[in-house]
This record gives sequence, structure tokens and C-alpha cells, in this order.
Amino acid sequence: MKIGIPKALMYYFYYPFWKTLFESLGFEVVTSDDTSKSILDIGVKEAVAEICLPMKVYTGHVLNLLEKGVDYIYVPRFVSLRKGIFMCPKFMGLPDMIKGLFDRIEDKILTHHIVSKTLDISEFHNYTIFIEKFGIGKKDLKKALAKAREEWLKFRRLNKEGYDINELLTSNKPQKYDGDITIGLLGYVYNVYDRFVNMDIFSVFRRLNIKVVTFDMMDEKVIYKNLRNFRKNMFWEFTNMLLGTAYEFMKRDDIDGIIHLTAFGCGPDSILEPFLTIDSEKNKKPFMTIRIDEQTGESHVITRVEAFTDLIRMKKYKAEEKAKGVV
Amino acid sequence: MEKVYIGVDVGSVSIKVVAIDNDNNILFRSYVRNVGQPIDIVKEELKKLHNELPDKEIGGVGVTGSGRQLIGYVLGADVVKNEITAHATATIYFHPDVSTIFEIGGQDSKLIIINDGTIADFAMNTVCAAGTGSFLDHQAQRLGIKIEEFGEIALTAKREVRIAGRCTVFAESDMISKQQYGFSKAEILKGLSKALVRNYMNNLVRGRKLRPVFVFQGGVAANIAIKKAFEEEIGHEVIVPKHYDIMGAIGIAMIAKEEVKRTGRPTKFKGFDVSGEKFETTTFICKACPNECEIIQIKANGKIIAMTGDRCGRYSNSVI
Repeated sequence: MKIGIPKALMYYFYYPFWKTLFESLGFEVVTSDDTSKSILDIGVKEAVAEICLPMKVYTGHVLNLLEKGVDYIYVPRFVSLRKGIFMCPKFMGLPDMIKGLFDRIEDKILTHHIVSKTLDISEFHNYTIFIEKFGIGKKDLKKALAKAREEWLKFRRLNKEGYDINELLTSNKPQKYDGDITIGLLGYVYNVYDRFVNMDIFSVFRRLNIKVVTFDMMDEKVIYKNLRNFRKNMFWEFTNMLLGTAYEFMKRDDIDGIIHLTAFGCGPDSILEPFLTIDSEKNKKPFMTIRIDEQTGESHVITRVEAFTDLIRMKKYKAEEKAKGVV
Repeated sequence: MEKVYIGVDVGSVSIKVVAIDNDNNILFRSYVRNVGQPIDIVKEELKKLHNELPDKEIGGVGVTGSGRQLIGYVLGADVVKNEITAHATATIYFHPDVSTIFEIGGQDSKLIIINDGTIADFAMNTVCAAGTGSFLDHQAQRLGIKIEEFGEIALTAKREVRIAGRCTVFAESDMISKQQYGFSKAEILKGLSKALVRNYMNNLVRGRKLRPVFVFQGGVAANIAIKKAFEEEIGHEVIVPKHYDIMGAIGIAMIAKEEVKRTGRPTKFKGFDVSGEKFETTTFICKACPNECEIIQIKANGKIIAMTGDRCGRYSNSVI
């Protein structure tokens, strides 16, 4: 049986888990193609009109999988990844939204709730539908989940060592990249690692000799520690993680500047953005927002990143000159 | 032979070419509308530059603006850099005490914050081109006035009228209805100027604390009504520099000069002969993958010199 996994949204965070899980259960795993103009175009055309860009991209990937003739498309309903904190409502409604968009697709969508206490989504109770639906034995499922968890933890460990997710997902020999300045890149995995949607921003960074640090490279404990000063949490888990990471970036001397990469129409980010703008200024960290959308041209990303790096380099150079003067 | 440095700013609406000497004196300047053939225009302007300064040696060339990559390649530029850095460099030179730069060009607007003589922060309009030069151009045309007269006419307005400035489409329909209510052209133009500044404050300034000295540059700075609207909005004098319309070109010429001096390498400038070469641009759709990129191909005397537009580098990497 063929299970299709859309290369969008949480693919960039959980694919190693899903691949191992389904393969251990005897399924063949098929992913959609990399995001391309035609996937984006069809997604924009078919998706709910007023929704954010990542959801439109996801819709395009679902259609791409339908063309590939899979038996099921896996669209889990992410509800919570930490006690009392929820995912963005669009994630919670995603399976319904996809089912509502197309005729006769309902039977093809494989979905279940994911309610987890941590980012580790291997808790057994989430997956009992597999027993009912496919007649998989309890023991086998538990074993597959344990194996998937192990794979995922390995992936996360490397990720936290500083390998970016695309390196880990696409390369047999992942590489780390260095640079003469370091930028903290804040953004959800599906914006930061979708090379098409963000105009391959990592290659722009590499060309300009910039090292990039992202939230997924941070230890969760560090992220949550930074959130303790807040009386209230953000409503959405990954927004919390970006905020916690942002405060870590603001404290760290080795981070020369912060870029927030956000997709047009992102509700959670509209609440996150003022915190980043105001507090990065307070902490004297250069900060910039790059907004990506379906019609964004590459040159606008390059111009902004270039000008931002010029700013940082000049600042650094001046500080060094000043330090020399004092000595 | 005395050396001069050339700066070219290829904007969406206009092309600026300058030549400066070692002490940043401006020996040549030109500002022409970009009517869609940037290579031809730059060639023409370089010819003029050469005629006016026949006994000068070219020490370096810098190119900025949205069309910088192609022209930079065609000329053999020593520096190809973004317009934010270029603008700020020139402004800091002419007004060393500047803190805030408003720059409004044809298709984008920028806010640059200077601290201690370096860029401390900047903002650019995101996706929308409302409130930029081409919008004013279009509206002036619709009202049947010359863009050069826009500011003077707006200053004669007797009454205030509010035009919705959030979006070009809304602004236009709002203007039409206000006209139909009997407001004069001058009043409409004044309302439009205020709307543009309001829009700028909303989109770019976004609550930042602005400090004097304020400098307003870019093509739109020629419009005295906009300058006034800025002054009213922030409650402070705004300076329009003498060379407001060519600041980007001056800045990039200065950066090119520094770059050549820093590296000690001779300029890569391909020479004035480039103006004798025949350039031809063609496009085709690449079918190698589902991205279907539009590939732009530039030929000089029949030989392919540059290809761009591909996301994967299949063509652009094959030439250089």
C-alpha cells in the first residue's frame, strides 16, 4: 500500500519519523515533488482563497500526490505539542479543509489527532486508528513507533548540532556551513526550508558568507527557559518556540543580526512580529522582516539580505576600529 | 591622467549616470527615463560622458538599482551593490549629521536610519507599490498635468481634502469621486501628497522614533508638495539635497572608488567600446522542470554573454 506524504508544513520537522513509522508497518512511502511553480500555481488556484501561503502550498502538494496514484495521503491533525498549548487553528482544521476542497477525496485522507506532551509525537494513544483501519497488531505498532522515535531523535540531535534540516533530509553527507558573520533566522520550518517558496534564501546567505542559526538548531530547554519571563504564552506552540529562540538570539554575542522570515497571511506571526521589532531594538540587535508571498521576486530577497549584511558588517567594522582605538 | 569613477543607478523608472573625481566632485551627471531599454540608454549616456570628459581615465565603475546585475555585467563593474547602501553612502558624505533618510523612487520607497555615520536600520515597502513615484506619475497623467508641475500646483490648494492612500486602486476611485464633488485639481494633488506620506509612515516608519537631521531624496523629492507633507507630518524641517535625484549613483561611484583602492586591482571596466557592441535580449521558457522559468538571454554581437531568470542555475551558471 502506498502512503503519500506532502512535502510541506510539518514534513520538514517530522519526515524522518513518518518515513520510519510507515515503512516499519510495511507501507510504501511516496512524497510529493519539491515545491515548484506548478505545485504553487495549482495550490493557489484550488486552496481556500483567504488562507496563508503555506496552506496553499500544502494544497498543491496534496494534488501532486493524487496525480501519483497513492492509496492514502497522510494528513495528521496536529492539535498540541505541549500541555495546554495548541497549534495554529489552521493545522487543527487541515484534514477537514483538504477533504472539503475536493470531491471523492475523503476515503483517501488518512488522519488522526496528534495530542502530545512534547515535540516527540510517538505516544501510542495517537495512533490507535492504525490498528482499527489496517489491522496492525498492537505490538507491531508499538515497535514501529519506538523505531520511528529513535530515527527522529537522531535527526533532531544532528539538527541541534547545527546541521540545517535540508542538509539532513536531502544529503547523504550533510555539511555544516560557516561564515564571517552569523544571522539568527526566525521562521517556521516550512518557510525556512522550502527552497522554492523562500527563493532559496540559504544559497543567498552562503554566497554572502553568512552562517545561519535557526530555531530547530536550538535545544528546547533553552527556548522554554527564555519564555519563563512571560506571564502568558503565545497561543501556538511553534510561535512560542520562535519567540523563545528570538530572546536567546538577542542575548547571544555571536549572533550579529536577526531576520524574521514570514509568509503572507500568517496570523500567529502578526502577533509575534511586534515583540521581535520592539525587543530587538531594545537589545540593540539589527532586525529585519522578509515577507514571502506567491508573487515574490528573487531580487527583493537578495536586495534586503545584502543591505542587511552590509549594515552588520559596517557595524562590526566600526566596533573593531573603536576597540583598536581604545587599546 | 586624472582618474574618474563612474556610478550607474538603473532604476525601474529612471537611469542615473554620474562620474566623480578623487574628491567626490561631480564631473558628469545624467538622469534619463528608463523607457525599457536600459542597455541602450546606459550606452548612450556613457558616450556622452566620454565626450564630455575625453581626457579622463576611468578608475572604477559601480552599478546599483533594480537592474544592477545585467548592467553590471555588461559594463564590467567593479562593484554591484544594493541601492540602500549606495544611497546611504552618498547622503552620509553630503550630510554627515544625517539621522533619517526618506528615499522614494519609482517603484519602491525606503527608510534608512543612520547612527554614528553608519546604517543602523532600514525598511523597504513590502509588496505594494502604492505611494511611490510611478503612482504619482500615473495620477498626474490622469489629471492631465506634467509631473514636474505637480508640487507647485498642489501648493496652491485652498482647502484640505482627504484621499485614501492605503492602496492605489482605492486612491484612484477616491480621487475620482472627490473630483466629482467639485474639489479642484490642486486640492486633489495636495490630498494625494498627504496620502502618500501617510502611507509611508504606516508602511515603513511603523512607530519608529525618528530623529533629525531628516534628508529626503530620490526622484519624488523633486515634488515640493511631498516635502511639505513630510514636514507637516513629522513637525520638523526636511532637507532635500542638491543632488537628490542621483544620490544612488553618486553613492555607488564612491563605493567603487573605495573598492578599487582597497583591492589595488585595476578596474574591470570593459571600456567605452562597449557602447559599440550590439546587444540583443531574448527569452524562452525552460521546460526542464515544472518550474517553467522564463530565461532571459543577452547577446553581445551575437555571442551569449549572460543568462538569468532560472532558479536552478542551469543557464546562468553556464555562461560566466
